[in-house]
Amino acid sequence: MTKRYIGSLLVGVLVGIAIGVYIGWEQFPVEYTNSSIAALAPRYQEEYTVMVAEGYQVDRDVNGALTRLQPLGKANVFDYIQDLTERYISQSNVPAISPMVALAEAVGRLTPIMEVYRTTPVPTSVPFPTQ
Amino acid sequence: MIMDPDDRQPAERGLSWWALLLGVAFGIAVALVYTWEIDPVIERNTAPWQLSAADREDYVIAVALSYTANQDLALAFDRLRALRPDQDVWSLVADVACNRIKTGQVVTNSDIRVIRALEGLYRPQGASGCADGQYPTPAPVTLNAPVPSATPSPTLPPPLTKTPTPPVPTDIPQTGEIIPTRTPPAGGYVLSRLESFCNPAAEGMIEIRVYDRLGQGVPGVQVSVTWSGNERDSFFTGLKPEREAGYADFRMTEGRTYTVMVPGLTGDPRSVEAVPCEVTVDGERVTALTSYRINFTQRSN
Repeated sequence: MTKRYIGSLLVGVLVGIAIGVYIGWEQFPVEYTNSSIAALAPRYQEEYTVMVAEGYQVDRDVNGALTRLQPLGKANVFDYIQDLTERYISQSNVPAISPMVALAEAVGRLTPIMEVYRTTPVPTSVPFPTQ
Repeated sequence: MIMDPDDRQPAERGLSWWALLLGVAFGIAVALVYTWEIDPVIERNTAPWQLSAADREDYVIAVALSYTANQDLALAFDRLRALRPDQDVWSLVADVACNRIKTGQVVTNSDIRVIRALEGLYRPQGASGCADGQYPTPAPVTLNAPVPSATPSPTLPPPLTKTPTPPVPTDIPQTGEIIPTRTPPAGGYVLSRLESFCNPAAEGMIEIRVYDRLGQGVPGVQVSVTWSGNERDSFFTGLKPEREAGYADFRMTEGRTYTVMVPGLTGDPRSVEAVPCEVTVDGERVTALTSYRINFTQRSN
């Protein structure tokens, strides 16, 4: 009688654990509702970065833009800006290229591949009038 | 007598259903404690709606700044919906702007631009909050560059003559008309109050009040209102004494931004925008044009 109970209990525990693990990790996993921007999915992080870059295009406040990128928690935010900009160029993500290039240039990360996307006119020398 | 194992009762050989159910319940409980508390799923691929309040605010600001740049309302709406599914996203933006002002996060010019960006996003959509009109966008300033004229040919100064200099005309006193003083006070004026209000009975009004350092209304102060870059109107305080001695008002046209100045104003002139607002009158939502109260006070030194 005791063996029968213990055996049934063990089988039940094993089945219960299997069900519980499925529920806890797959069906109803923990949902975080107090997350930081650093925990955002990469696509949202990149979208956020582009939004900040677009804001920079309007106000030209590079310190403000870098402050807004701080919550992303990137080890080197300059590298991150450069990498993302070059990736958008390689992917022909046209709407995002212009603001990202402007931001990359503002932080001193304008690379040759970005040159053609610059919106800031390059100052040209005015020839002196000849007599 | 020895019992053959095959002769045992079926109940003794099978499972005990009570024990089985007890085991399943215990197993589920243990597993849930482990998967939810001890080793939960790693936080990754978080969506914007899961952000904390502070980070959500940063996200809303980024959306507003982006909208300022691209003016893509549908895109801004979609981004905000990712933050607050099934809720009024424009109220969310208004709340963020209000919260930043309340918590003293408007210090630098960059902060002011953020408030303007937020307001530029939520107000045209009909939302409102405590940040309304606090930092209105100034009217664009147009600079008239002097047109270079043809190089004048050098002329010799006229020779001195013995013609006597005509006498300087003296001021002729005028009667019948009061000329308001145009001389700014020695200390100048400072903007002491700027607030918006929504009143269908007096919509689109700029109510200007000028006070001296003792708090008394000052009549006869010239008030200049400019809009659309080069449009301008001037009028004087005190022409409606039934209101207040230092009172004057001006009616705005919807969609325009107006800059209000008085002589000797210290600091940048402030601008206000004629945008729609909503107010509840007798239980009904009424749309009107936002009005403003602007007070100038004489500086004490």
